[in-house]
Amino acid sequence: MKMKKNRIALLIASIILMVVIWGYISFENRIQSFNGLQFLIIILIVVFGIIAIIRELKKYQEKKNGLVSEDELSTKMKYKAGYKAYMTSMYMWLFIFLLKDKFPDTESMLGGGILLSALIFFITKVVVKRDLYEK
Amino acid sequence: MKNRIKELRARENLTQFDLAKLVDVRRETIVFLEKGKYNPSLKLAYDISQVFKSRIEEVFIFESN
Repeated sequence: MKMKKNRIALLIASIILMVVIWGYISFENRIQSFNGLQFLIIILIVVFGIIAIIRELKKYQEKKNGLVSEDELSTKMKYKAGYKAYMTSMYMWLFIFLLKDKFPDTESMLGGGILLSALIFFITKVVVKRDLYEK
Repeated sequence: MKNRIKELRARENLTQFDLAKLVDVRRETIVFLEKGKYNPSLKLAYDISQVFKSRIEEVFIFESN
C-alpha cells in the first residue's frame, strides 16, 4: 500500500516536472512550441527517471526486508538483455544514420539515438524476463 | 534437471521468502527454481542443499537425457 502511494506521488511529481520543463523551454523559445522529436526526448527522459526511481525504491524495500536486490539469476538476465540490446542498437544506429537528413540537428539525432538505446535495453530486459516465465 | 525444493521447503515449513533470505537470492529466483525454469549455479545448489541438510543429488535430480 505504501509502495503504491509512493508510485502515485512519483507519477504526480514527474508530471509536474515535465510540465515545468516544457513551460521553461517554451518560455525560453518565446512561447514557441517545440517540435515532436524534442517532446518525445523529454518524455523519454522523464519516463526513464521514473523507472530508475521506482527500481531504487524496490531495491531499498528488498534490502529492508533482508533480501538481496541482485543475485545470479538477475545478473544473468541483465547480461543476456545487454547483449540483445547491443545487437538491436547496432541496427537502430544504422537506421538512424540512413535517415540523418530527417533530423533537425545532430544533437537531436545523437540524443534521440542514445535514449532509444536505453529504451531498447529496457524492452529487451522485459522480453528476456517474459521468455523465462514462458520457458 | 528436476528438483525437490518445493517439497523440502514445505517439510521444513519455510516460505519462499525465508529460503531466499537463507541462500541470499531474490524470491523470484526461488520461484523459477521450483518451477524448473532455471538451473542454479553449483554454489546456489550447494547452499540450498545445506539449508535442507541434504546432499545436492537429493535435492536436484539430474536426468541423463
